[in-house]
Amino acid sequence: MLGQILVSGITAGAVYALVALGFVVLHRGTRIVHFGLGDQLTLSAYLVVIGQVYLDLPFAAAVALSLLLSAGFGVLVERAIMRPLRASPLLVMVIATLAIGAAIREGLRASMGPLPWPIPFLLTPAPFTLGGLVLVPANLAVVGVAAVVVLALFLALRFTRFGRAIVAVYENPTGAAIVGISVPAVHARLWGLASVLAAIAGIMVAPLITLSPDMGSIGIKGFAAAVLGGFNSLPGAIAGGVLLGVVETAAGVYISSAMKDVVSYALLIGCVLLLPHGLFGRAEARKV
Amino acid sequence: MLKRRELAAGVATIALLGSGRRASAEDMTGVMPSSIKVGVLGSLTGVQAVFGQGNLSGAQIAFDEANAAGGIHGRRIEIVSIDDESTPARSIAGFRRLVDDEKVFAVFGPSASSIAQAMEPVLRAASAVPVLGSIYSSPAASEPFKHNVFRTGPLQDRLQGIAIADFVLETLKSTKVALVSQSDEYGRRGGASLTERMKEKGHQLVAAEVFNLTDTDFTAQLLRVRAAEPELLVIYGFPAPAATITRQARQLGLTAKILGSNATANRTYPATVGPAAAGVMNVISLAALPEGDDPRMQAYVQKFSARFPDLARQNRPDLGDCLGYNGAVVFVEGLKRAGAALSREGFIRALESLKDFETGIGLPTTFGPQRREGNLAARVLEFQPDLTRKLTSFMLHSAG
Repeated sequence: MLGQILVSGITAGAVYALVALGFVVLHRGTRIVHFGLGDQLTLSAYLVVIGQVYLDLPFAAAVALSLLLSAGFGVLVERAIMRPLRASPLLVMVIATLAIGAAIREGLRASMGPLPWPIPFLLTPAPFTLGGLVLVPANLAVVGVAAVVVLALFLALRFTRFGRAIVAVYENPTGAAIVGISVPAVHARLWGLASVLAAIAGIMVAPLITLSPDMGSIGIKGFAAAVLGGFNSLPGAIAGGVLLGVVETAAGVYISSAMKDVVSYALLIGCVLLLPHGLFGRAEARKV
Repeated sequence: MLKRRELAAGVATIALLGSGRRASAEDMTGVMPSSIKVGVLGSLTGVQAVFGQGNLSGAQIAFDEANAAGGIHGRRIEIVSIDDESTPARSIAGFRRLVDDEKVFAVFGPSASSIAQAMEPVLRAASAVPVLGSIYSSPAASEPFKHNVFRTGPLQDRLQGIAIADFVLETLKSTKVALVSQSDEYGRRGGASLTERMKEKGHQLVAAEVFNLTDTDFTAQLLRVRAAEPELLVIYGFPAPAATITRQARQLGLTAKILGSNATANRTYPATVGPAAAGVMNVISLAALPEGDDPRMQAYVQKFSARFPDLARQNRPDLGDCLGYNGAVVFVEGLKRAGAALSREGFIRALESLKDFETGIGLPTTFGPQRREGNLAARVLEFQPDLTRKLTSFMLHSAG
């Protein structure tokens, strides 16, 4: 039972981790918590359906189109909404991100209907047994893709010009601007990058958790995972996601399914109280 | 022998009662010489829109049909539609707006069980306003009996829980039964009724788990269910979570027969679940399947597709649209039977006269002076290996 809990918890956690990464990537550079990110997952998955059903595209082309449009959507949000609001109080920006989420959700409900849509699995959902554990290729694909995405992200941040500019803005926006990096342009890239991460997560998980306009509610779990991980730490986001997935599943099995969320969020509150910078976060020195 | 004063008081009382009855009989709020104003209240946005949009689409098609045929006794039906945004507070405010400001004749809706439950005191207070629900299945609004509140369409959850328990025990001969139910009014009510009925018949559920409507992972619930080794798993919930539960159950090696409650009877359900859907049974309250070849259902599907081509591309009409239309046709029949001198009380009496009224879409509707539950039966469909849906010959009947 414990082995199965770990396998299932890690699968669920990989999904949370992918969403959490989007939160962290964006927040580290822009200081914005994008509460509409979960709904962007949904939008990207629906874009695949639209490509397949309405444009008759093959699955791979529909996925490529969705990733491209998702990146564009992220940049558009930054340019059209967040950039004009950059001098506004934090609360205004939070409300703006909530509004983006609600607009996506209800826009999809109006245009694509309130009922679930079928969407192809990346690998088969038929399970196989290994050492007494039930493993599902479709779920393993999520874990695998999450690992590849994380690796690609780390490499991109370290070894590409694009990534170094982002890291420079992460570390010191003023210094980055002084050496000639356009901070607003990096912000736009971050929105695009976070949107692509959300798109990958959305397309991967939609067939597993059923694509409907309310699928974006998984965003709150990604947010919780990001908080657990320290909110500014990329490895923390991964660890937070996996921890949340495992704790949630174990609590559901060993305590009760009704208490599953209670235990998960109690863990979150406990973490915020005892480890305010999360499992992997660092305290930031602020000069006054 | 009665004293004169007592006699006078008695006569006055009878006169007052009589005038009161006449006053309500002549309540013609919302009835104009050439039109009838009807409020349509439902969840068009938010999580409950999964069925609420059908409430409006059904009303629009049925009322348009009646209007195109020259209206009802020469009166056209005018719709005032309000979206409750899936929140009880907005639903209550919307109902008050329809009744107090718009002064509608009657209200068609609400659409969601959790909304109907919250509206119960408001519906009770508005005792003169006829209210007909076509989709929600909670008994909270119509039990205890309310003179003005009618419900048609799906078998209500208290009775459905009983009917499912009887079907499982007597027809499927399964006694090791597990339940996974949604934590809201819909799942709680149906789940509790099923549990209670099983207990009455001498059987305890081997596992009873709950989930939230927006949950995405059900491993914990299903591992507990799997450990209980049930012969049959009942899922009492909405389409999206129920589809995921069905798929995850099979992935975790659960071999039990799966039976879904009426809300899971949507067209895309088997495709959403995938191959794991084969052999799964769902309760359904329709006379025929919209994707089938029944002539009356096909006529409705064509009407729907012509009226809402955009919605037809979303694999609709689906369960909510069919139930909404079924209820709206019942509503129109009530208006027709109420005659040219239309009043609220006359409409209520006309609805009470419906006996086995068939629309060809939903199951037959019967009301009576003491009966507000229009349908006391349900059917069962089974997903085939090619993931098509097939109506079985099983018929569930309420014994509650």
